Formats: sequence, structure tokens, C-alpha cells
Amino acid sequence: MRALKYIYSIGIVALLSSCADYLDVKPLESISDTQTIYDKASSETAIRGVYSALASGNYYGTTFQSIGYLSGDNIQWTGSQSQVQEFINKKVNADNSTIAGAWTAIYVTINRANNVLAKVPTVTDPLLTETLKNQIIGEAYFIRALAYFDLARTWGGVPIVTKPTASPTENRGIGRSTQAETYAQVLKDLDAAEPLLPLTTDRYRATRKTVWALRARYHLYQKEWAKAEEYATKLLTDTNYRLLKPFNTFFANDARGTQESVFEIFYSANEPNTHRNQWQPQTNGGTRQWAPNDAIVALLNDPTIGGTRSTLVAKDNQNRWYGNLYYRTPASDPSYIIRIAELYLIRAEARANQDKLTDALADLNAVRDRAGVAASTAASTSAVLLAIENERRVEFALEPHRWYDIVRTGRAAQVFNLTDANRLVLPIPAGELLIDKSLVQNQGY
Amino acid sequence: MKKKLLMQFLLGILLIPYGVLAQNTNATINSNLSGTIVDESSREPIIGASIKIKGTTHGVLSDSEGRFYFKTGQKLPYTLIISSVGYDTKEVVAKTNNIDIQLRANNKELSEIVVVGYGTQERKNLIGSITKVNPSEVSSIPVGSIDAQLQGKVAGVQISSATGVPGEAVNVRVRGATSINADNDPLYVIDGVFINSNSLQTIGTGGKATSPIADLNPADIQSIEVLKDAEATALYGSRGANGVILISTKRGNFEQAPKVNINASFGQAKAAKLWELTTGPEHAQLVNEWWINTGKDTPSLNRTVANRPFRPVSEGGRGLPEEQKTYDRLSEAFRTATLQSYDVSLTGGTKTTKYYIGGGFNSQEAILKPITFNRASFKVNLDQKINDKVQIGVSNSFTRTYRNQARAGDGPQGGLLQAALHTPTYLSPYNEQGVLVGRAGFDNLTLLLENYDVHSTSLRYIGNLYAEAYLLPNLKFRSSWGVDYNNYNESEYWNTFLLLGAQGGLATSSITQFSSLLNEQTLTYRQKIGEKHSFGAVVGNTLQSDVLTRTYAEGRGFANNSFTIISSAATTTSTQSWSKSNLASFFAKADYSYDNKYLFNVSVRADGSSRFGSDRKWGYFPAVGAAWRVKQESFLRDVAVLSDLKLKASYGIVGNQNGIGNFAAQGLWTGGASYQGSAGIAPQQLANPDLKWERTNQFNVGVDAALWNGRVAFELNYYTKYTRDGLLQLALPSTTGFANYWSNAAEISNKGFELNINTTNIQGRNFVWTSSFNLAQNINNIEKLEAPLKYGSRDLILQQQGTPLYSFWVYKQLYVDPQTGNAVYEDVNKDGQITVADRQIVGSIWPKFFGGLTNNFSYKGFEVSAFLAFQYGNKIYNHNRFFGEGGGARDAARVILASNLARWQKPGDITDVPRPDGVNVNNYRDGGSRWLEDGSFLRLRSLNIAYNLPKAFAKKLGAEAFKVYVNGTNLFLITNYTGLDPESSASSDQNAQGIDLGTPPQPRSFQAGFNITF
Repeated sequence: MRALKYIYSIGIVALLSSCADYLDVKPLESISDTQTIYDKASSETAIRGVYSALASGNYYGTTFQSIGYLSGDNIQWTGSQSQVQEFINKKVNADNSTIAGAWTAIYVTINRANNVLAKVPTVTDPLLTETLKNQIIGEAYFIRALAYFDLARTWGGVPIVTKPTASPTENRGIGRSTQAETYAQVLKDLDAAEPLLPLTTDRYRATRKTVWALRARYHLYQKEWAKAEEYATKLLTDTNYRLLKPFNTFFANDARGTQESVFEIFYSANEPNTHRNQWQPQTNGGTRQWAPNDAIVALLNDPTIGGTRSTLVAKDNQNRWYGNLYYRTPASDPSYIIRIAELYLIRAEARANQDKLTDALADLNAVRDRAGVAASTAASTSAVLLAIENERRVEFALEPHRWYDIVRTGRAAQVFNLTDANRLVLPIPAGELLIDKSLVQNQGY
Repeated sequence: MKKKLLMQFLLGILLIPYGVLAQNTNATINSNLSGTIVDESSREPIIGASIKIKGTTHGVLSDSEGRFYFKTGQKLPYTLIISSVGYDTKEVVAKTNNIDIQLRANNKELSEIVVVGYGTQERKNLIGSITKVNPSEVSSIPVGSIDAQLQGKVAGVQISSATGVPGEAVNVRVRGATSINADNDPLYVIDGVFINSNSLQTIGTGGKATSPIADLNPADIQSIEVLKDAEATALYGSRGANGVILISTKRGNFEQAPKVNINASFGQAKAAKLWELTTGPEHAQLVNEWWINTGKDTPSLNRTVANRPFRPVSEGGRGLPEEQKTYDRLSEAFRTATLQSYDVSLTGGTKTTKYYIGGGFNSQEAILKPITFNRASFKVNLDQKINDKVQIGVSNSFTRTYRNQARAGDGPQGGLLQAALHTPTYLSPYNEQGVLVGRAGFDNLTLLLENYDVHSTSLRYIGNLYAEAYLLPNLKFRSSWGVDYNNYNESEYWNTFLLLGAQGGLATSSITQFSSLLNEQTLTYRQKIGEKHSFGAVVGNTLQSDVLTRTYAEGRGFANNSFTIISSAATTTSTQSWSKSNLASFFAKADYSYDNKYLFNVSVRADGSSRFGSDRKWGYFPAVGAAWRVKQESFLRDVAVLSDLKLKASYGIVGNQNGIGNFAAQGLWTGGASYQGSAGIAPQQLANPDLKWERTNQFNVGVDAALWNGRVAFELNYYTKYTRDGLLQLALPSTTGFANYWSNAAEISNKGFELNINTTNIQGRNFVWTSSFNLAQNINNIEKLEAPLKYGSRDLILQQQGTPLYSFWVYKQLYVDPQTGNAVYEDVNKDGQITVADRQIVGSIWPKFFGGLTNNFSYKGFEVSAFLAFQYGNKIYNHNRFFGEGGGARDAARVILASNLARWQKPGDITDVPRPDGVNVNNYRDGGSRWLEDGSFLRLRSLNIAYNLPKAFAKKLGAEAFKVYVNGTNLFLITNYTGLDPESSASSDQNAQGIDLGTPPQPRSFQAGFNITF
């Protein structure tokens, strides 16, 4: 008996000492966050992780983009998820799940960029050349700039986070900067990115040219017309970018990375773009959660307005219109962020605002010509600006511009009949206010 | 001790008819027979047992050492009938002198043997709160799994079947819920093996999940014990916070002749009611009203009477409302389902071996086509005595569960109820060319039923091998090795006729394997010191290792619909996952009783889990309990009316770690963030090195009493549970780049009472009527939660400090303005507009009380049993009505329920259904309280009528016993709920309970069967 107890207690002691190992189980699908970015390979994979956040379903995959076009006047809601209707009615509630998803996805992207920005500079791998290192850091700056730009134009001023989050106590309770401060952060990051990036052409990843393109848009939003013109010109004089004829060349027939494209997100069967799911009708395996409304269908099908852009819409077997920009199987449609057409229209608008009407019309008509539409006859500055506004509506009928265009030009009251100025920015997601007391809701929500 | 013996002796004398005692002294003596009667499990002598020679009036009683002695004119061999209070009557053939007879304690009253953690106990000595269920009482309810059958049977255990689909997951809550993100499911222990109760399902069936408990064949189960308080669950320390369900399967008996039991039943099931939908003309009328109303509200829409959608075809419309046809899809989707069940078992034993072999086949169709549930099971339990001291044994159960499945809940594509229920009734299933087409964005029902294939096969082995040895007469060592292995193989195929397969077909395959290996050692010591002191102790350890792996493949783009396997797809993708957790535990328990009056227990368990932070892996879970058997005191001993009275109290701490990620405490980066086809890495999860065990302090106080010799027995318990360090995926501000992290941040309390009453109302010679009633209340409250958490579709559930878990967060509709027809919502913050700030908590899923009532009647060979289950005061959100009462705004995109016809139409109308206007604008706002309904119900869960054929007749058929029965379930349901079933819940997410998105209701069924024993 005593012997047995003895044996038993030896067993327990043996068990206890091996317990420490026994209770230490490591995952196989993930790695510890203590060893993440430390050499060339891990630096390269980390920046791809930032792009993958940009590509996620809640950012440029679908959700964030949908805010831009649903809030305009081109799209109608045809599905079951009524948060969609709130954008169309321009009565977005703070508990709308779309804004919560987009807000979160953008900050996930920022945190990934911040990790690259904090850790890649400290990597001492000789294989990681200075050029490559600079490129990776520059790309991270660019993506962060885009993220803050998207936040600023959608919500106004937001909390600015520039360091990676290492523990749950960090990067919270920061409070909102003003919209101007947020835009300043965008410019700061673009300034930082520009010299680090190579002067190459890459339509899926940021280069110095991509920075210029975004700067053009940035200055347009800031009404810094000369600068907008200057940066747009840098792209428009580059022979790697041009308007392709016919209009659908840049997206039809499974095209990707065409010369039309300045920056688009890459998707594939393994990294699918969920966008088609919302646009395509059920017979094509989608949900047709939303669809082009009668007004835009009429405009696109008007040969004097839409021209060849009518290929953006199609009819299903029940004679219903649907958007056909995202259509591929498997769902590898690119998400278009900046097309060269936008730079023409940016420069047109920048020039018109500087009363360079002829030059403005030239840019505008380049886009119209490509769509097979006759040149604009607008004669006054205001007429040209209106022509540009209308052109943007059909050129980017299914892309996320209309809402932001009308808001930045201050014409929401006239165009959308939206007189409540508070509604020009969206509410901070209600869930964020609950967990971060430093956040203050936008007026009127 | 002596007093106990004396009592038993006296009791024995009192209950033995005098005739038995009369001895025939004149007969010739042909044989002498002596022997002893002992308790089968404790091996203690049984005093006062009656031993009678079969076919004679000759009988004797056993003495204080269990011995008896016969002198008789009978010649050996002859049959003895042995009976004793508290034991099953036994027949033994006496062949030689000096026989030992073991009696098994019966299931009645105080001496009921209750399985407890690592042992058994007589009910009279229980300190903890344990409810024992005899599975045969509920085994005829055709729901697939044993947990679903238990609804209404156990006080304080709330069980709801979210759907009427057999074999689907059931929500089981023992004394409320203690956690937000860790599991609230009880621990299931089968023959000592901790089994997996989390569904391995990965394919989408509309938010539902299959139940791993359905892999058990209820026919193999001998008894079920539900352990509820800390004292009872203490030895399961880390796992006990949500209660423990101990399942013991059937085993043989030593020295029992082989006995074959055959049970077969057949039946049918049907929905008691289905949804009431508008007809085509009604639908069209409402759409027109909506059109005109919104036109009036917003003139810029240019919606007028002239251009209303349902205007004459000649005017370019869809035809007038009265011209619309009505197409019935529901009756195409629902059916009268066939149920069948066959079980065969063989039990028996020799002097050293006992065995149970069981085989079963169970096939149940769901009332919704084409869902089926098939279970084939095979079980072998063997116990072998090596010698007097050593015994080894095995338990094996092998099951194959095959399911034909369907998407019958949330989600549009491939959704059966979307096709059958949500499609507007005025829309023809055919287009102008006479081709079947899907409508409203859903699949065509006929095409769907014919063209998809979703099925799963679960292969499950649960086994256990043990050896136990008496090292000393009082010291038993037991070592046990257990396995729970589950291979879960699912596949889907959607061809090109279906939305999901529209692009060349879609096939998926998912193979999930779960294995749990368990090793356990216990040493049990029991000693009586002197007359009054009884002492026992258990020490032991457990090692458990769980591994979950999954391989998933998907193929799209098949050459044609004849190819259905992924290998022939144009595009294939695949993924794999692996996860593991280890648990090491040590436990000890000691009990002491003084004079059978005062009982004390103390126990402690230490658990180490691989899931927690490096310094926080170990948790320590102590418990103490005491009971006072007041009836044993001299001042009550003579109070005849009171046959038992016991007061008991316990306090302890139990833990919880189930349901959290296996690597929840670790800071991780994922490798899955690829871009442009090249690998990418990204932050995945923040570390929390302080993550530790969730701990629940439990207190229980109770009284057990019996009156009139046990004719009335009741148990009343009051309990409190307070959970600290509640495991929570604490929401992080998005600025961190993370949604949440695992932390110990919540505090949740539960308190309530449970009442159990068992009565023998009539105890006649031929007629017996017994009742069993249970009632419980649980009050749940979130005591501490930093920030509220939202769950469920449209954030319908809000978990918030100061309110119960699973509270509904809605816009409270006050009334419909009789003048305008608009819904008026409560403006909580009085800012003049209805915004999200005006959402408020209105009720929760918790009932004010719930329980069950069973009545059993027997008259001669007839038995009738009626079992009612009820709950009162809970809310359910009829989300299906939200969709179906769109007031025409969803037009051709969604069916309209008939209930929408009660809408406001003209000034002065008093109704709670507002006039049709836009969706989610005001009147048909997401999260309106109009669809929050009372979920109270009373249902006749089952009614059984059985007839036992007379023995003589059974004998002619060669059977020992022959029983025929008929059985009905859900014969009535009394509820104010306007949906089909107040237990419906769309999601298997434990935080999104109580939202009914339209699921097949629990059916009404009728079955007939027979049970023969040879």
C-alpha cells in the first residue's frame, strides 16, 4: 500500500513537471506577434498584408465603395438589407452596419501600414536593399494616406493613429482631429511616400505615379486647383496611361491592368472580390442587392450622354436592369480606385476653376470622345463645371464618386435636395462611440 | 449503525405480508438451504429481506448479517424470490446450499442510486443538487437527440429546440447562462468520457447547426443525471459552471440469463400549422397602397394612382389586384414525414462477465423536404471480473449519422424557406415561356428541391477502457482511457439550375475530424470508524487532449450537370485548419458522515489549460457541502407523516474555458493576408498574457422532504451563481486595428429556485396514478460589462450592464396614430426625432418561470403518460414578420403575411399595424418592437399509451414481456406567439437567441410501436 502511494506520487510529480510543456500548445496556422517583420521576406509579405486589408470586403472589396455610389443618385436598393436604403434616402443612422464595417476595415488597414512603417525601417537584413526597403515604406505611407483620405471625406475629422497597436491599451481614447488635420495627415503621408517610391508603372501597387494621382484628387478636394492640375498633368503626360476605346475595354472580357488603370486592386479566385455578388442578378449567382436606378439607366442608354458607357448596365431574364461592372466567375473583378479618366476630369475641373475653359473642355471632351459622345458645347465656367459634374456622373456611374463629388462641390442641396448640412458627413458608427468615450458624434446624428 | 439495521429490520417486518412468514413445520424436510443477501454495489448485508420459495407460501427473512436459512420439503433446485424495500425483486435458482445473492437497489425514493462525479450515491445521502432522469420516459419523442428529449423534465434546465429538424442543435441551459463568449452548454460525460457537444458543421444551413449529441442512441442510455450545483459538479471543476450531464449507458448484470429486447416504432409527423400568407390579390392591393402612400409622402417620387404597379395590363401595369393568381409554395415544401426506429439489444452475464450489446437504426424525415436524419448505431459494453479484486471493462459506441440537409433559415441563395415562404404568392413559378424560374431573388422551389444535394455523414466512436482493483478492501484504484473520435464529412452540390450554382455549378467538401483523448486515474477510499463515523475520499487526475482538424475544398465551373465532384471543376480552392488544446487536472474529494445525520463534503480540483496566459494556466476550484438529515433526529423519528426531511447547503467555485479559441491568450499574426497571389502576413489577434479562467461562485441551499411514506416527495432548491472574470471578446475601438481581444471582463449573475414534486396520487391494487412536476425560475443579470455588445440581425440583441443577457434592443412602438396611420415610437431622449439613441431594451429571452408536468397512469396492463412542458414570460422577436409585414414596400421582392392586412387604412382605424410606407423609414423600421412577442407556451410534449400483454399471452409468443404502444407529440400548443413555434431561433450563435427568421416548427407526430423482451 505504502509502495503504491509512493509510485502514485512519483507519477504525479512526473506529470507536473511535464505539465508545463503539455500545457504549452502553439498554433500552426499563425505565428507569434513577437517575431513578425525581421528580414526581407517578412518585410515583403507584411506590405502585401497591407494591400490585402485595402482589398478586404469591407474596404475596397465592397462596403466602403458602396457608400460612395449608394449615397449618390444612381443606385436603387433591390435587396433585403435595408441599411442600403439609408444611403439612398440620405438618412444614414449611426447604427448602420455598412458604415461600421467600412470604418473598422479602414483602421485595420492603417494598423497594418503602421506596423510596416514602424518595423521595416529597423530590419537589418542585407538582402533587403535600401531601394526595396524604401519602396515598401513608401507603399505603406501611400496606403495610409489613402485610408485617411477616405476617412476624412466620409466622416470629417477622425482619430489619427500613426503607431502600430501592440496591446489592447494602445491607440484608443485618442479623440477626433478636425477634418483639416486629417487631410493634413494625408498630405504628410503622400509627401513622405513620394520620394521613397520608384518612378515605375504598377497598376496594382503604389508607385510615385500613384502618389501623384492621389495628390491630384486630394488637391481637387482641397480646391487647390493649380496643384490638382499640376499633379494630374504628370499622369496625363505619361504614355503608360491612356483612355481606351471602346469604353468597356478596361473591364470587359476579363480585362485587368489595362492602360486605363492607374490604381486597381487585384483579385483572384483565391482572393475573391465580393462586389459582383451585390450587383449581379440572381440568375448569375448574385443577389442584386442594389441596381442602377431608372435615371442612370436612361442616361447611360442615351447615346448623346452615356454613349458606349451603356455597357455598364444589362438586363436579366426578368427584364430588370443590373450593373455589370463586376461580373466575373470566379469573382476576380478588379476594384478600380483611380482610372486615367478621373485624372482628365480632375484636370478639367481644376482648369475650369482657373477659368482655363478651352483646356478644361479639351480634357472633358477627351473623356466624352472615348465614350463616343459629341464634344461638350458648354461655354461659361459654370456651364463647364456642370458639364464636368454630369460627365462624372455617367463616367463613374457605378464607381464611388458621385456622393463625394456633390458634397465637395457644395451642391448637395441642389442636386440631392439635401438641405441638412449635417448630413454631408456620415455618423461615426454608434458602436465606436459606445466603446471609445473620447469620440464625439457628428452634429445632427 | 445498529439503529439503521434495526430500522431496516422493522421496516422489513412491517411490509412483509404475514402469510409469507407462516412456515409449514409439518412437511418432510428434503433440503437445507442457507445464504446471504448483500447489496450489489456496496456489498453490505441487507437486513430484513424476504426470501420466498416460488410456488409455495414458504418464506423467511434475512437476519442482521444478511443471512437466511431454510428447512423445507422442497427438493433442490428451486427458485427463490427475494425482495426488500429499496431493492429490485430478484429470482434466483438455488441449486446448492450456501448461495450468495446480490440485490440491486431500485430506482425509488430515498435509496435511488444516483451517479455523481466519480462514483454513485444513494439519494438520501446527496448534498448536491442532482436530478436523475429515466430516459425511457422521453425516448419516444422523435427529436433525434437525447438532450432535446429532456425538455421540461429537469427543474432548472431550460431546453429549447430552435427548429423542428431532428438532430439539430438544441439550446440547453442549466441554471441560466454564465458567459457571453465562453460556452454556456453543459458538460456531457458518457461513461466517464467527456464528449464534444459543439457542432462540427461548417456548411451553411441558414444559421443552424447539427447536434453532436444526436450521435448517441437514446435506447442505449440507462440513466441521465443532471448535476447542477457546485457540490455536485465540483469534481468536474473546470467544466462545471454550466452544469454536467452524466450519461450512463446500459450494462449487463452478473449471473443474468441472456435477455433480448426488441423495440420498433413507426410514425408520421406533420406541421401543426404553417404561415398564413396574403393571396395574390391581397398582396397586389397592399403594394398599390404603399405606392400611393409613398407618392403622397414624397411627391418627387411621382407615384400616383395612375401609375400604381397593379393597374390594368392595357395601361402598362401588372394587372389589377383582383386579376392576380395565388401560388401555394408552402404545401410543396412541407410534407407528412415518416419516422421509424428499430432497436435490438442483448444483455446478460455470467458469474464473471456481463455484457450489453445494442444496435439501433433510426430514420426521421423532417417535415420540410428533403431533410432527413438517419442514425445507425452499434454498442458493446463489457465488464469482466478477473478475480474478486480486479475488474476490467470497455464501453464502445459506434455511430453513423447521415443527414440530408437544407438551408432552412437565414440567407437568400439556396434557401428553402426563402423559395417556399418568402417568395410573393402572386408570382408564378413559371416565366412566360413556361420555364421554371426563381422569383424575388430566391431559388425556384421546384428546381431547388430537385437539383441540390447537401448532406453530411458523421462517424463517431466513443469508447472507454477501464481497469479497477481493490488494493485493500476499502481502497479502490481505477484507471480509465477514453476516446471521443468524430469524423464529420460534408458535401454540397448546386447545379446550374440554382442560384448558387449559376456559374457552372458549385461543389464543396469539408472533412472535419475531432479527437479527444482522455486518461484518468482515481483512488477511492471508504471506511467506517466505529458505529457512527463514515469516511470516504477520492483523489485523481485527468489528462485530456483535443485536436480539431478540417480540410475544405471547393470547386466551381463544371462541364455540365452530370459532373458533381470537385475533381472535375474548372476552378478549385482549398484550405486546411488545425487546432489543439490540452487540459491537465488533479482533484480530491472527502466526505464524512456522522450517524447518518450529518453529512459533509469537501473537494478541490486544480485544472491547467493550454488556452490561458503562461502564468494563468492553472485554476483552483474548491467546494464544500453539508446536509442534515433532520428526519434521523429523535424528535422527528416518530412523526409518521413525515417520511424524510433533509436540509442541505453547498458553496463552491467552478470554472469555464470552453468555447474560447484554443490560442485565445496569444498574440498572433496570420499568414493568410495574401495579395496578387503571393503570401502576406498581418496582425490577427492581440495577446492577453493575463487571460485566465472564468470563475463562477455558486451557492445552493435546499430541502428534500417526503410525506406519507414517500407518497409525496419534494425537493426545493434556491441558488445563486456569480461569475467573475467572465471570458469576453472585449470590443476594442477600431482605432486599434482590432475588433476585440479575449479578456476576463464580464460579471454575470444568476439566481433562482427549483421545485420538484413527485406524488403518488392513487396507489390502488390495479390503478396507479403518479405525477411529477417541476418548476424553476432563473433571474439573469449582467453585473459588469464595460461597453454594450450587439448581436443578431439588425443588432436585435444587446448585452449591457444591468440587464439580463439576450435582451432585445428595439424601437418601442407606442401605438399607431389613428389619424395618420403612422407608427409612433417612444422618443427616449426627447429630441423630437427617432434615432438609434431611442432604441431601448424591452424584455429578454428569459422566461419568468418554466417547467414540466408528467402524469402517469397505469391500470392493469395499460399505461398512459402525458407530459406537458411550459414556459412563461419570455420574449421572442418574430423577425419573419418583419420581413413579411413590409407593407408592400418590398413589392415583388418578398411575400406579405396575412397579418399585414390589419394595417391602418383610413382615419379612425385602431390597429397596431401602420399604413404601408417605405421600408425602414418609420412604419416598417428595422428593430421595431411590434414584432417582439410574448413567447410563453404550454405544450403537450408527449402522450403515450401502452399496453403490456398479459404474461401468459406473451409466453405463448415466446416472450417474457410484450408491450405495444402509441405515442403522440406536440398534440397541442397553447401560445400567444403568432409565429409557428415559440422556441424557434434562427441562429446557433449563443448570443443571438430568440430571433425567429422562419424555421420549420416542431412537428406534431404520431407513432406506434412495440417492445418485446425474450
